[in-house]
Amino acid sequence: MRVMAGLIENEALKILRRKRFRIVLIVLAAILSLVVFAQDRQRRNQRRDNPTLDWRAGVEKRATELERRMNERRVPENFKRWMRYESGRLRYHLSKNLNPNEITGPIFTRAFAGVGSVLLIPLLVAVFGADLVSSEFAEGTITLLLTRPVSRWKVLLSKVVAMGLFTTLTLLAAFFLAWGISGVAFGWSGWGAPILTGFRLGGASPAAGFDLSGVRMVALWQDTFAAWGLAWFSALAVGSITLLLSVVFRSAAAAMGTMMATLVGGTILSRIASDWDGAKWFFVTNLPLPDYYAGLPTPFEGMTLAFSVWVLFGWALAALAAAFVLFTRRDVTA
Amino acid sequence: MAYNCRVSASEVVLSAEGLAKRYGDREVVSDVSFALHRGEVFGFLGPNGAGKTTTIRMLVGLVKPSRGRVVIDGHDLGTDFEAAMRRVGCIVETPDLYKFLTGRENLEHFARMVGDGAAGRIDTLAALVHMDGRLDGLVRTYSLGMRQRVGIAQALLSDPAVLILDEPTNGLDPAGIREMRELVRRLAGEHGLAVFVSSHLLSEVEKMVDRIAIVHRGRTLAAGTLAELTDGGKRGLEDLFLELTGGETV
Repeated sequence: MRVMAGLIENEALKILRRKRFRIVLIVLAAILSLVVFAQDRQRRNQRRDNPTLDWRAGVEKRATELERRMNERRVPENFKRWMRYESGRLRYHLSKNLNPNEITGPIFTRAFAGVGSVLLIPLLVAVFGADLVSSEFAEGTITLLLTRPVSRWKVLLSKVVAMGLFTTLTLLAAFFLAWGISGVAFGWSGWGAPILTGFRLGGASPAAGFDLSGVRMVALWQDTFAAWGLAWFSALAVGSITLLLSVVFRSAAAAMGTMMATLVGGTILSRIASDWDGAKWFFVTNLPLPDYYAGLPTPFEGMTLAFSVWVLFGWALAALAAAFVLFTRRDVTA
Repeated sequence: MAYNCRVSASEVVLSAEGLAKRYGDREVVSDVSFALHRGEVFGFLGPNGAGKTTTIRMLVGLVKPSRGRVVIDGHDLGTDFEAAMRRVGCIVETPDLYKFLTGRENLEHFARMVGDGAAGRIDTLAALVHMDGRLDGLVRTYSLGMRQRVGIAQALLSDPAVLILDEPTNGLDPAGIREMRELVRRLAGEHGLAVFVSSHLLSEVEKMVDRIAIVHRGRTLAAGTLAELTDGGKRGLEDLFLELTGGETV
């Protein structure tokens, strides 16, 4: 046990001294600043153009627009589903006299869990995950690491733990940076505000309508906690798969490149190939857990939050198992 | 077996027994056997491509033998890896340390893997390899000789019985070569380590070793003391080497 603690300390030392984590923090801060700046500007412009517009009129207009467009024939099915969802959500807010477009620092932070878990956070996890093992091969230090009186599975386990640790730190950093930076523009308070969640489409066909049975009002902090918890779970699955790539490839660039291509490719797949529902078993399709938790329509039929959680869990477990088998059996030559 | 048996079997600290390694249908090592005794420097000689590096990788568990086994201080490497490796220190090919860490941080890193108070030996070992006072620079800034010496200090952290050095004088200047030779002799003579040194340079090994094994095409062809192998110095080691290896250049 003492040796394992020492091994984890070693891995943490290497991640920090390689400055990978610093890159993660800088990228997060830069991107969040840009997004907050753009959103703030958009809000100001809207107010300037329509100073007298009441929010109800604006939401009404948007809902009507969505309803008109979702009946157009040329719009792809998954967009139609999203529009049906969005208009239903807006109409329900109108009926409860709650402004769905209100923005505060906490609301921005909640929304970022959904947006970030699709691409940004997985990419950042790949930044430090990709070279956990591959760099030891690339720099030749693997011969020292594996000729010490420590079994190979322990060496890899310490790297898995370090991956989990730094994934958690990445999520914590993303949360506090999102809140801190958005608060500058939109204010930091508002965690107790009530928000509506649990909207669902009744089914795939427009006739199925909008399912309001699950709609409930919760405090924003509760919803945020659940959303970020799910984003953390997605990130851990990405970290496990990245670690496998890091074992397979001897170059960190190859591992990172493969992971990035997979993430981008998978996102394209779930947006475009909505007819082939085999894609729902692909891990990338299941990454936006916070969105599925909020009730946003899934890209493929038959997907639910629980389904996505289990698919990600299966991928992570299989990736780690493969990584252990490869790492403990492989001959280390040259 | 052509082993010299002036030392008793109980002093054998490492034995390689019929090691073989096959990759697909290519056999890189066919039959390599030898034993290392406490307090001796053992030269492992062979032309390039003879299977030296693969053999060394099998000795330290980096490559799994297709046949045969390695026993280190009574522990079978294949079944009792951690106990066996606690008794070995090694540098395989180049002494690759973490370049973005200091020498001391590298030693601390590997001391944490060894446990058992290894961290407390860092300063003693640094003095032994003449690196005291120079451990706090980044390894990136070290010369090859300095890296080699930190590598040896690292190898000695677990207080091993066997030290395995792969071509330890490669790339060193004449002063560095002499220093390395003296250090190896001292570790065997004063500290009682069995030091295994591989080389393709006959002249280097002659001045450093007590016994040698000559390996060619994956087999040990001869093993013994220098005096035995050269009939008490009547034949040159070089002649013997060329005769055994069929005149291939070394």
